[in-house]
Amino acid sequence: MSVLDIAKGMGVTLGHLFKKPMTVQYPEQKAPVQARFRGRHHLLRHPDTGLEKCIGCSLCAAACPAYAIYVEAAENDPANPTSAGERYASIYEINMLRCIFCGMCEEACPTGAVVLGHEFELADFRYQDFVYGKEDMLVGVKGAKWQRREAAAKGKDVELGFTAPPRPELEGVGY
Amino acid sequence: MKVVVDGVTLDLPPGTSAIDAVFAAGSDVPYFCSQPYMSPIGACRMCLAKVGAPRKDRDGSWVLDEETGEPKIFWFPNLMATCTTAVMDGMVVDTRSEQVKAAQHGMVEFTLINHPLDCPVCDKGGACELQDRAYEYGEGLSRFVFDKRHQEKHHALSDLITLDRERCIHCKRCVRYFEEVPGDEVLDFIERGGHTYIGTLEEGLPSNFTGNITDICPVGALLDTTSRFRGRNWEYHHTETTSLDDASGSAIVVDGRTGRIERIKAGHQPEINKTWIDDGTRFGHEYADAPDRVRRPLVRHNGRLVETDWDDALGYVAARLRELNGRDVGVAIRADATLEEGVAARALADHLGSGQLDHAPRPAGGVIAPGGQARLQELAVAGAILVVGDVTEEVPIVDLRIKDALRGVTPPALFDHGAPIADLRLKERAPRRAEILTVAAPVRVDLMRHAGRSARYPAGGEHAFFRALTALAEGGTPDAEALGMPLEAATAAVAGLTKAETAVVVLGGWVLASLQATEAALHFCRAVGAKPMPLGPMANSYGLELVGVAPSHARYAYGGMLAGAKALILSQLDPAIDPAMAERLGQLELLVVHASFLTATAKLADVVLPAATGYEKDGTVVNLEGRMLPVRAAPVDAGEARDLTGLVKAFGEAAGQRLEGRSVKSARRWLKKSLGVDLDALPGLGAWAPAKRGPARVAVAAHEAPAHGGALRVPTMVRAEVLDRNPHLLAATGGLALGLHPDDAAELKLRAGDEVTVPVAGVPRRLVVRPSEAVPAGLATVPATPDEPVGLVPIDLKQIALERRALEVA
Repeated sequence: MSVLDIAKGMGVTLGHLFKKPMTVQYPEQKAPVQARFRGRHHLLRHPDTGLEKCIGCSLCAAACPAYAIYVEAAENDPANPTSAGERYASIYEINMLRCIFCGMCEEACPTGAVVLGHEFELADFRYQDFVYGKEDMLVGVKGAKWQRREAAAKGKDVELGFTAPPRPELEGVGY
Repeated sequence: MKVVVDGVTLDLPPGTSAIDAVFAAGSDVPYFCSQPYMSPIGACRMCLAKVGAPRKDRDGSWVLDEETGEPKIFWFPNLMATCTTAVMDGMVVDTRSEQVKAAQHGMVEFTLINHPLDCPVCDKGGACELQDRAYEYGEGLSRFVFDKRHQEKHHALSDLITLDRERCIHCKRCVRYFEEVPGDEVLDFIERGGHTYIGTLEEGLPSNFTGNITDICPVGALLDTTSRFRGRNWEYHHTETTSLDDASGSAIVVDGRTGRIERIKAGHQPEINKTWIDDGTRFGHEYADAPDRVRRPLVRHNGRLVETDWDDALGYVAARLRELNGRDVGVAIRADATLEEGVAARALADHLGSGQLDHAPRPAGGVIAPGGQARLQELAVAGAILVVGDVTEEVPIVDLRIKDALRGVTPPALFDHGAPIADLRLKERAPRRAEILTVAAPVRVDLMRHAGRSARYPAGGEHAFFRALTALAEGGTPDAEALGMPLEAATAAVAGLTKAETAVVVLGGWVLASLQATEAALHFCRAVGAKPMPLGPMANSYGLELVGVAPSHARYAYGGMLAGAKALILSQLDPAIDPAMAERLGQLELLVVHASFLTATAKLADVVLPAATGYEKDGTVVNLEGRMLPVRAAPVDAGEARDLTGLVKAFGEAAGQRLEGRSVKSARRWLKKSLGVDLDALPGLGAWAPAKRGPARVAVAAHEAPAHGGALRVPTMVRAEVLDRNPHLLAATGGLALGLHPDDAAELKLRAGDEVTVPVAGVPRRLVVRPSEAVPAGLATVPATPDEPVGLVPIDLKQIALERRALEVA
């Protein structure tokens, strides 16, 4: 290694000293995340019929390397179906403490029902609050459990601490 | 015979099918329609292979290959279905050539043409033969771009079986199964070609063995309705255990998930149930997950049962027992307790110094025949069979093994890969040797449809029936009325039993209920040289008799104990269903009830201890032929429920002693010492129980029930005492039946389906009226329970109370 190389390296440092800082004043300021960022899961519905896409097949649970997903299925009432087809997930739970946000569930899903969104602000106080059920993940639900809890207590809308470009798999789920 | 499969040379017995040769050589061909213990038909065309054989010249010498000088192999012009091809000497089978591979790809593609791709919602997904074969042998692509066949997706074949007609691949396993195994032809193919579907013209599936078709269906077309959508196959925890539902010792696989039993499938016990189980065993598990299980011990405080823990409950029991003389304490357990639990009960009675120990129901005649009893494999090859009783309801597997004997095909020898995949001796619609079977019962029973001769003797007339038969065998004059069949038929039956090399007399509960009848039956067996096969009333009747869970004196038997003891410890028994008995039990100084549910008796108890069901305990049972079989605990969330060994351990600790039988391990040490059996090393297929009996206790006959009255308590395939907690079986059976002759029903102004309450031997029973020609006039049939064992009892039809009138169907 020559003196010249060291000078080159120092030059990079010197250059950064005069650049605009990357620091984001989170949470006052919203952090931008990438479109492909993997955060909290969303359970989608068919856009035309409004039926749930999840058919309770448990393949996400089988693919999950962290054993974070629990699914229990039941038969649809033909007159008033929850999902398209014969069966739907009567219980769909993800333990967000176990989840490693690897996206294998999304890969395994045969109907594109479970999609990882961008929400990452999941810290909470009690263990059971990390187990997200269908009511916490079905499309249209905005924010983590604690965010919705606080928003409800204050009577305000849920405010998320980030911005993200749209992701096609989310089929228009916006923030 | 020398056979070469893919270069591997084998020596196989003649009659072996080529598919078994392939598997014996360690090669593999796919198949859908073959199924062990059923006839091969070559319907699915999946097991195609290139087959050739040498040929002999006119002079008897092999035609030789000119180049090599070896016998020349002449290949069959087309690929052969290996399941229907028998091996020949020198045969060569090739399963790996390009031609075979192309055929396999083609057949998978063809089978998948009309098969829906709904694997994610299919209950078979993950355990599906078609899925696996498509993955292993398919090309992964289909050229079929048109609409698939559309048919009914969830057709309820019965209350217990759902059929998805789109998924059916027409392998015909279910159709063949019903015809060949139980002999109830209830399913068939309807229409033809691509329109073919499975259907029945019956109402539901009238057979005791319908659930097996869900096991053998290679795809998800036939599904167990009770477990539909409950979980995926890879999520289940499989426990291979032995059924405690009846005395057959059938192998079952309990599939559990998150602390619940979701379904039961048949296990493989080639010498007992093969791969079949009855519907009572398969679907009768829901009670174990019933919401009203007793999950924690209860102790009576100020007249109310209050939840507590085991230490507290047993400390209380120990303190109360110290106030009593141990000899006044009775211990009784139900006859489906394991051997280890039997040892625990003995230890408990010994600790108390009480002679009042018994298991119930315990038939008066005992279930271990002196001189040995017939084994199921002997029954399956018997040349003459006499059945006295209703085996189809009592121990349904015995019914199936009798049908094996009727087909006249000996049980196959096993390969390393298990039972032969294609046993070429089995044929569709094979003739049945009905003439070897004689069935006798006071009512018409299902097995009589398959019997060459059937007898309907007067109810309670088992003793007279066997005396008359013995008279025939010994050349005397029989009492014709007691026989219940024409004299010629009886003579032929006796002659058949005498002549046959292996003759078996199956003794049902009605015979065993009476000591006299049992002795007459055993005497008859000796007279004709037949082997008796007593059907124990419950899963471990044999074993508990073997280890000596019996009173020291006849007056201390279960009935006497209920009447005379000052304190009682009852496991899983419910005598208080009889109001008179309930009054007596209420006056006891101490009543400890070990039960899974808050039964009538548990409601009267001072202490209720939660009991494990037959799916939740480890141990050993001895089936009706004397084979010791392992019982393993499935992961069921049953709160603090324990079996008797757990109770005895906690009890000993509360009393400051280490009792024998305080754990399964300790009970096994005792069994090893006193019976010489090592149950820790029990092979999966079981082992024969020793002829030696447990020491000390005197086994005596239970109190003989008076054989008179107007009601016959009949065995039922479904367990009557827990039917209310098995919703699917309850719906399928329509409830516990009061069988009446149509004329009697009309006289009482009762219609089919009416719900009534009627006192049977003092016990008010809620039953559903089922008029039937099977019941003789003047007799009523009611289901037996462990507390109301089979036999003839009084009924007061005058006091019948109509609870709900059935809707009149126009």
